[in-house]
Amino acid sequence: MFKLNTTTERRGQGITALTFAVFLAALVAGGETQASTVDDIKQRDALRCGVSQGVPGFSNPTSAGQWEGFDVDICHALAAAVLGDASKILIKPLSAGSRFDALARKEVDVLTRNTSLTYGRDAGLGFTFAGISFYDSQGFMVNEKTGLTSVGNLNGASICVTSDTTSQENLDDFFRSKGMQYTPVLVEHPDFALAAYDSGRCDAFSGDLSALAAHRLKLNVPDEHRILPETIAKEPLGPVVRQGDDEWSDIVRWTLMALLAAEEHGVTQANVEEKLKNSPNPEVNRMLGAQGDFGSMLGVDKHWVVTVIKAVGNYNEIFDRHLGFNTPLSLSRGINELWINGGLMYPLPFR
Amino acid sequence: MSEQSYAPGSHPDLPPPAGQRGAIKWIRENLFSSPTNIVLTLLSIFLVWKIVPPMLDWLVFDSVVDANHRNECREQGTGACWAVIRERFTQLIYGFYPTEHRWRVNLAFVLMLAALLPLLWDKMPGRKTLLWFSAAFPVVGFFLLWGGTVGEIAATIIWIAIFALTFRFFSFAGIGILLAALFVIGALAYFGLPIGINIASWFSDAAVLEPVESAKFGGFMLTVLIGFTGITLSLPLGILLALGRSSNLLIVKAICVGFIEFIRGVPLITLLFIASTLLNYFLPPGTNFDLLLRVMIMVTIFSAAYIAEVVRGGLAALPKGQFEAADATGLTYWESMRLIVLPQALKISIPGIVNTFIGLYKDTTLVLIIGLLDPLGLTQPILADSKWQSLSTELYVFIALFFFISCFAMSRYSLYLERKLDTSHRN
Amino acid sequence: MNTNTNNDQRLVVEMDQVHKWYGTFHVLKDINLAVQKGERIVVCGPSGSGKSTMIRCINRLEEHQQGRIVVDGTELTNNLKNIAEVRSEVGMVFQHFNLFPHLTVLENCTLGPIWVRKMPKKEAEEIAMDYLSRVKIPEQALKFPGQLSGGQQQRVAIARSLCMAPNVMLFDEPTSALDPEMIKEVLDTMIELAESGMTMICVTHEMGFAKTVADRVIFMDEGEIIEQNEPNAFFDNPQNERTQLFLSQILAH
Repeated sequence: MFKLNTTTERRGQGITALTFAVFLAALVAGGETQASTVDDIKQRDALRCGVSQGVPGFSNPTSAGQWEGFDVDICHALAAAVLGDASKILIKPLSAGSRFDALARKEVDVLTRNTSLTYGRDAGLGFTFAGISFYDSQGFMVNEKTGLTSVGNLNGASICVTSDTTSQENLDDFFRSKGMQYTPVLVEHPDFALAAYDSGRCDAFSGDLSALAAHRLKLNVPDEHRILPETIAKEPLGPVVRQGDDEWSDIVRWTLMALLAAEEHGVTQANVEEKLKNSPNPEVNRMLGAQGDFGSMLGVDKHWVVTVIKAVGNYNEIFDRHLGFNTPLSLSRGINELWINGGLMYPLPFR
Repeated sequence: MSEQSYAPGSHPDLPPPAGQRGAIKWIRENLFSSPTNIVLTLLSIFLVWKIVPPMLDWLVFDSVVDANHRNECREQGTGACWAVIRERFTQLIYGFYPTEHRWRVNLAFVLMLAALLPLLWDKMPGRKTLLWFSAAFPVVGFFLLWGGTVGEIAATIIWIAIFALTFRFFSFAGIGILLAALFVIGALAYFGLPIGINIASWFSDAAVLEPVESAKFGGFMLTVLIGFTGITLSLPLGILLALGRSSNLLIVKAICVGFIEFIRGVPLITLLFIASTLLNYFLPPGTNFDLLLRVMIMVTIFSAAYIAEVVRGGLAALPKGQFEAADATGLTYWESMRLIVLPQALKISIPGIVNTFIGLYKDTTLVLIIGLLDPLGLTQPILADSKWQSLSTELYVFIALFFFISCFAMSRYSLYLERKLDTSHRN
Repeated sequence: MNTNTNNDQRLVVEMDQVHKWYGTFHVLKDINLAVQKGERIVVCGPSGSGKSTMIRCINRLEEHQQGRIVVDGTELTNNLKNIAEVRSEVGMVFQHFNLFPHLTVLENCTLGPIWVRKMPKKEAEEIAMDYLSRVKIPEQALKFPGQLSGGQQQRVAIARSLCMAPNVMLFDEPTSALDPEMIKEVLDTMIELAESGMTMICVTHEMGFAKTVADRVIFMDEGEIIEQNEPNAFFDNPQNERTQLFLSQILAH
C-alpha cells in the first residue's frame, strides 16, 4: 500500500545501522575508569565478596538468609581490616562459570569462593591470587566392603565423579601416569554422583577431600565408607582479586597472613585485647599496633589486626568453627597445619 | 419389559432400559469392555496398590515436620523430612529479600492478583476503571520490589506522561520521533556533551522505599516475578509480531520474520547467557543494568517469538471472509484487527498460548544457570547447610508441587476461557 | 427506505474501461458499467466469468489495474482515505454471509455505525433493531450467528449492511450457499429492499428474482460484459449466442 522510495529507505537503514554500530563500538571502547577498589569499598561502606552457591563448611546461607562458612569468614576478616567492621559485607553467591566475569565486571571486590590457584588462572586471566587460604586435594572414598585400602588398588575400578570439573581431568591424568585403567561414571550434579556411588554403581567416589567428608555424611551408612589416605591432585584454594590494584591485593594477602600469624603466636579472639596490652613478642606488638603504625603502610587502621581477630578469631578458630572435628565435616588440619606443626601454612613475617 | 404401542406421532420419550444406565453400565463399558481392557484394569489396580501406599507413607505417615536437623528427622521417622521445608520456607518464598521489607513483596503480590482480576474476569463490576490500575501496576510493582527515591518515581511519572501525551497528539509517528530524539541525546551525552536529561536530579533523592538489590531476590518470588512479567508482556509483543509477519509491508514483515526465526532458533539458555555476560560488553563500565531486568527482557522476547507463531496459526485459521467483511464494513486496519480478527484468532490460539505460557513459567528455573536463586537455585545453598544435607528429594518434591499447582491453575483457566468464548453452539 | 426524494439521474457507480489481471490471467476485460441511483442490476454468467470479481472491485476488495472506478463521486485509487469513504457508502452481502461469529446479531449490526460512523451506541442499537425488524428477525438480536439458520444469517447480513445506510448494495451470490427452503426468505427480503428504492447490484442465478425486480440484466462471460438488456428482452430475446446457451442451460430444468 505505501510505496516507499527504496533508495532513500536503504540509505536510511544504512545510516541507522552505522549510528548503532558506532554507538556500540563507543560503548565497548569506553575504557575502564580507574578508581581504586579500596576507595570503592570505603565509599560504599561495604565489601562485596563472591562466594560459591553452597559448599558445606565453606559457604551456605542460614535460614535467616545470612551466609556462613570458612569462605564467608575470610570475607568478614577483610571487611574488618578495611572498614573496621566485620559485619559490613555483601555476599554474592556465584556459580563456577560466572565467578571470574563477576570479578572482572567489578560486581564483587574479591572472590573468597573456593577457587583453585592454577598457572592458567593466575597468569592467563587478569587476576591475582592474594594467597592460599586452604590446601585442598583430590581423593577417593570407597566402601569398606570392597577391601580397597590404597589408590594403588584402584586399577580397573569404576569411579563416580562430577562431570565438567578439574576432578575429572585430574583422574585422567593420574590413571594415565600410573598406567592404570578405570571406568569413569560421569554425573552432572555432585548429589547424583554420590547417589550413584551409594547405590553401588561405582567402586569409588572421587572429589575434593574437603567435600568428601561432607559427602560421606550424606550416605545411608556413613561408617561403611572410608576416605583413602592418598591424594592425586593439588587444589590450592585462595582469594582472588583483579590484577593491577596492589593496594587492595596487599590488604587481602596480609589479612590472610595476620590470621595465620595470630595462630602462630597464640593470639585468639578471647585474648587479643590482652595481647595488645602486654605481649613480650615484638612481632605481635608490631602486628597488633601496640608498637609503631604498621597499619598506615597498608592504608588501614593502626589496630586493624585486633579488629580482625576480635571479629573472626585466628585461622585455627575459623577452621575449627566450620571444618574441624566439632563440625559435621570433621576435617583434620592435615597439610593446612602451620609449618611449625609440619603443615604448609607459613605466615610471612610482620616486619 | 412389556411392549406397548403408541399412535403415530404420539410416542413419548422413554428412559433407557435398566443395565444401560448408571454406575454398572459405566464400569462395564469403561473398565471391563474387552479382555485387553480387563487385563489393563487389573494391572492398573495392582500398580496403584504397589505405588500409592509407600508413596503416602513417605510423603505423609512416616514423614517428620518437627525437627531441627536431618538426624533428628531420621530418628523420628523413615519418611520425608519436611522439617527442612519448614525451616527454609520463607527463604524458598522470598530468597534473600530483607525480612523487614518482605511486606513489600506481599503487597506487590496482592496487587498483582488485583491487577490480574479485571483482565481475567470480564464480568467484573467496575472493570473499566480497574483496568487503569492493571495498566499502572507494572510501575507500582517495580518500585515496590526494587524501591526508589522521590526523584526516580517523579521522573518515571513524568516520562510516562510525556509518552502518553505524545501518543495522544501525534500518534505512533510522534513516539518514533521522540525515541529518535532521546537516542540522539543519549548518544551525545555518552560522548561527553553535557546535555543529559536527568529528571530525577530535579527532585529530592530521599528514598521513598529503601532500594533492594535484585541480587537479593530469590525463591518463588523470583519465579512469579519473571513468569508474570514474561507472560503479560510477551502476549502483546507476540501479537504485534504475528501481525507484522502477516503484514503486506515488506520491511515490517522482514524484521518480524527475522526476529521470530532468530529467537526461536536459539535456546533460552543461550539467551540467558547473552543477558548475563555478553550484554556487559555492550554497556559502558560503571553503568549497572540490572541483571534481573535483562533476564526478564530475554524471557519475554523468547516467549513472544513463540506466541507470535501460535497467533499466526490462529490468524491463518480465520476464514478470508472475516477479513473481507471487516474491510467491507469500512473498518481501518487496526480496528478490524482489534474488533474482528484478533478476538477470533486469539480464541483459536488459546490452547497454544497457554501452552507457551506454561512452558515459559517452567523455563524460569533455567535462571539458576546464570546464578539467580530461584527455588531450584536455592536447593544447592540450602543443602550445603550441614543440618540438612542430602534432603534434595524433599526440596524437589516441594518445588514440583508449587509448579504443578501454578501450571494446573493456568491450564484450568484456559479451559474455562475456551468454554466461555465458544459461541458456536450455545443454546 | 431512505429519503430518496431528489430523483436525479446521477451515477452511483461508474466503471470505465476497467481491466484486471490475476498474475497473467486476464480476469476483467474492458468493463464499462454505469449504475444510476435507484437502479437494480442483476449480473449473471457461468462460473469463472468474472462477475464476482467485478462487483468486488466496486468496494476495493479486489484492486483493478487499469481504468477508472468512481463510486458516488469518489474515485478508487491507492488513496486509503478514498477507499475508506467508498467502503462506508457501499454495502456488501456475501455468499457465505461472513457474519462475525464472536459477536451477537445486534453487535454485528451496530459495529459499523459505532466504529465507522461514530454513532452513539444507543442510537446504533435502535437503528439496528429497526432493520432487524424489517428483515423479520428482531427476536434473534441477542443470539450468536452460529445459532441461526443459513437464511436467518443472510438476512442478518443484509440488515448489517443496511445499518450503514449505504448508497448502493452489492450482493455476491447471496442465495447460492443456502438450503432450498431458505432461499425464498432471503429473496423476499431482497425484493422488499428493491421496492424501497435501494440501488442494488446482484450477482445471482435466481432468474425469477431478476425478472421481478431488475431494471437491467447483465450477462458476463470470460471477463467481458457480453450482453445487457432490460429483463423481458434479455430473457425472451437474447442476442448473443453465448447468452442463449447460458440461458438454455440455466432454465432447462
